[in-house]
Amino acid sequence: MLSPTRDPAFGQRLGATLLLLALLAPTFALTGFNPFVLLRQDTWHVWLGFVAGFLPPAHDADFLAEVLRETVTTLASATQGLALAAAIGLPAALATSRALDAARLTAEPPSRWAETAKRSLRGLLVALRGVPEIVWALLFVRAVGLGSLPAVLAIGVAYGGMLGKVYAEILESQPAEPARALAASGAGRLARFAWATLPQALPELVSYSVYRWECAIRASAVMGFVGAGGIGQLIDTSLKMLNGGEVSTLLLVFLLLVALTEAISRLCRRALDSRAGIAGIAVATLAAVLGSWVWLRQGWPSDAFDLAALDHFAGEFFPPAHDAALLTSAGRGILETLAMSLLGSVLAFVGGALLAVPAAGRFGVMLKGLSRLLLNLLRGVPDLMWAALAVLAVGLGPAAGVLALTLHTAGVLGRLFAETLENAAPEPERALRAAGAGRFSAFAYGQLPQVLAQWIAYTLYRWENNIRIATVLGIVGAGGIGTQLYLALSLFQQQTAATLIIAMLLLSWAVETLSRVLRRRMES
Amino acid sequence: MNKLTATLASAALLLSAGTTFAQDVLRVSAIPDEAPTELARKFAPLGAYLEKETGLKVQFVPVTDYAGVVTALTSDKLDMAWLGGFTYVQAKERGKVIPLVQREEDTKFTSKFIANTASGVNSLKDLKGKSFAFGSASSTSGHLMPRFFLQKEGIKPETFFKNVAYSGAHDATVAWVASGKVDGGALNSSVWDKLVEGHKVDLTKVKVIGTTPPFYDYNWTVRGNLDPALVKKITAAFLKLDAKNPEQKNILELQRATRFVPTKPDNYRGIESAAREAGLLK
Repeated sequence: MLSPTRDPAFGQRLGATLLLLALLAPTFALTGFNPFVLLRQDTWHVWLGFVAGFLPPAHDADFLAEVLRETVTTLASATQGLALAAAIGLPAALATSRALDAARLTAEPPSRWAETAKRSLRGLLVALRGVPEIVWALLFVRAVGLGSLPAVLAIGVAYGGMLGKVYAEILESQPAEPARALAASGAGRLARFAWATLPQALPELVSYSVYRWECAIRASAVMGFVGAGGIGQLIDTSLKMLNGGEVSTLLLVFLLLVALTEAISRLCRRALDSRAGIAGIAVATLAAVLGSWVWLRQGWPSDAFDLAALDHFAGEFFPPAHDAALLTSAGRGILETLAMSLLGSVLAFVGGALLAVPAAGRFGVMLKGLSRLLLNLLRGVPDLMWAALAVLAVGLGPAAGVLALTLHTAGVLGRLFAETLENAAPEPERALRAAGAGRFSAFAYGQLPQVLAQWIAYTLYRWENNIRIATVLGIVGAGGIGTQLYLALSLFQQQTAATLIIAMLLLSWAVETLSRVLRRRMES
Repeated sequence: MNKLTATLASAALLLSAGTTFAQDVLRVSAIPDEAPTELARKFAPLGAYLEKETGLKVQFVPVTDYAGVVTALTSDKLDMAWLGGFTYVQAKERGKVIPLVQREEDTKFTSKFIANTASGVNSLKDLKGKSFAFGSASSTSGHLMPRFFLQKEGIKPETFFKNVAYSGAHDATVAWVASGKVDGGALNSSVWDKLVEGHKVDLTKVKVIGTTPPFYDYNWTVRGNLDPALVKKITAAFLKLDAKNPEQKNILELQRATRFVPTKPDNYRGIESAAREAGLLK
C-alpha cells in the first residue's frame, strides 16, 4: 500500500522531465548556456562589482536633467510613433476589413480587382509587422540618421502593420446588421464605416490603441540601443561604460515611466464607459500628439523627409546576397536563434511556475507580495535591456540571450500562471487534502491538471514571441542572427543585411504556422 | 509655359540655396568613438573657435552610431564630421566628401593591444582561446587595423579567440578588459594614453601587450557640395591653431593634437586596401 502523501505518478513525471531535458540537450550545446557559470565565483565577482556600483543611484543635477529630457523624448517618440501607426493602420483596416465588404453585406459579387488590391495590402501589413521594430529602427537610423526620428518611424511602421490587422479584426467582430442596413440603402464603404461599424467598434479600438501605446513606450525606451535617441541611448552608454550608478537611476526612471503609462491606460479604459470620457480621451490624445510633435520637431533636421535618399537607400538592399558562405552562416544564426528561444522559453516555464505558486497566495501574504514584486520587475524590464545586462553576467554570446529571455519571460508567464491558479476551482484539491493527500500530491492532482494545458498554451504563445525577440538580441551582443545583421549594417553590407532580414521573416513565419497548428491540435 | 519654366527654375534655385548658399549653421558631428559626454566636452571650445572664424553658428549633433555619421554626411544632413580612416573610406565609397585636415598625430597613428592582468596573458599568442573585444565594428583603430595586423600575424580572430565582441567605443573596451568581462582587447593609442594620463585606468588590472605599426587615421571631412569658400575658411582655421596661443592650446589639448596638417584622399589608400583584405569592404 502506497503512503497517501507520495505521488503515485512520480516515476512518469520524472521520466517526462528527463525526456524533455534530453530533447533540450542540443540547445544547451548550441547556445553554450551553462547554468553553472552563473554560480561560478568569477562571474559573481564581475556581477557583484557592477551591482555594487548601482548604489547609490547617480543623482547629480546635470545627469538628472539629461535623464528627464531623454525620458520626455522617449515618451514623445512613442506617442508620435503610435499616431503614425494609427494613421497607417486605420485607413488600412478601412480598406481591408471584411466587415465593410459589400459582398458580405449585400448580394453584390466581389470585384476581382478590389480583392487583389486588398490581398496585396494585407501582405504589405504582414511584412511591416514581421520585421521587429528594433530592426526598423536600425534601418531608419541608417536611412534618415540622427535623433528621435528613426524611433518614431520604426514604431509607426511596425505598429502600423499590427494596428492595420487588429483594427480590421475588431471591425469584423462587430454585429453586421447596421452596416448591412446602410449597404442596402446604397451607402458606400466609407459611409458604412463612419456611421455603422465605427460607432460600434470605437471603445474596443481605443482600448487596443492605448494598450499598444504602452507597448510603444517600452519599445521606444530600447530604441536608443541602436542609436535612435531617448532613454535607451543613455542606458546603452552607461552600460557600456559599466557605470552602475547611472544604470540604476535610469532603470528606476524607466520603471516609473512604465508604471505611469499603465496608470494612464487604466484611466483611459475607465473613461471609455461615458461619452464625456471618450471626448476627454480625444482631447488628451490630440494634446499629446501635438505636444510630442513640438518637442521632437526641434531635434529633427529640416530636410528629414528626403524621399530621394530613402529610395536610394532602399535600392541598396537589392538584390539580396546569396553566396554559400553567407547562407551557411545565416543558417547557423537561425539555429542559434531557435535554440536560444526554445531553451529560454522552457526555463521561463519552470521559473514562471515556481514563482506563480507563491504569487497566487499559496504561501501567505508576505511571499505573495514579494513574488509579485519580483514578477513585475522581471516583466517590466524589456528583453533587450535584460540582454544588455545579461551580457555582463555571462559574457557575450547566445548564453546571455538565453538568460535574458528566461528572466523576462518568467515574469510574463509567472503572472499569467498565478492568475490561472487563482481562477482554478479549489474543490478538487480540498477534497484530496480531506482524503489525506499530502500538500504536494493534492496540488499535483487537484490543481495542476486544471491549469497545465493553459500554461503550456501560454508558453507556446510566448515561445513564438521569443523567437522574434531572439532574432534581435544580437544587437546588444547576446547572440543569434541579430549579431550578423548588426555587423552587416555597420559595414554598409546592405545586400547581406537583406538576406538576413528575409531569413528572420521566414523564421517567424514558420514558427507562427507551427504554433498555430500545435495550438489547434491541443484545442481539439 | 515660360512662366512655368521660370517658376520651376526659381524653385530649384531656392532648394539648392537651402543646401549650398544660405548657410547660416554649420552642422558638425563626430564618430562616437568615445562616450557622448566626452565627445561634447572635447568639442565645445573648438566649436566656439570655428564659430568665430567662420561667422556661422556651429551646431554639434551627437550621434551614437558610426554608420549613422557616414550616412548623415553623405546625404547632406551634416556639413562636417570627424571621421576615422575607415569611416572616411566608407563615406568616400558612398558619396562625395572632401578630407580637409588631420592631427599631426594621425599621420602615424597606432593601436594598442591590451589584456587583463589576471588572465595570465603576456602576448598576442597567449590570447588563443580567450575572449577578445574590438571597439566599434566601424572603427579604424579599434577594429579594422588591429584585425588587419592580427591577420598579418596569422591570427584569424573568429577562430583564434573563444569569443569576439564589439564594445562600441575605445573607453568601453578598456572598461570591459579591466572588469574581466573579456580577457583582451584593442583600442586607439591616443585614447589609451589619455586614460593613463588621467588615471582613468587601473594599471594593476590592465596592461599593454602590443602596439600596431603606424597607419593614417582620423580626419575632419566635409560634404562634397559645401561652399568652397567656406571649406577654405574652415581649413585655414584648423591649420592656424597654434599651441603658443593659450586659448588655442586648450583646443589642441582637448583634441589631443600638437597641430593640424592638411590631408588628402591618397593618405587613406592603405586603409582601403587593409579593409578589403580584412573583408570589411566589398
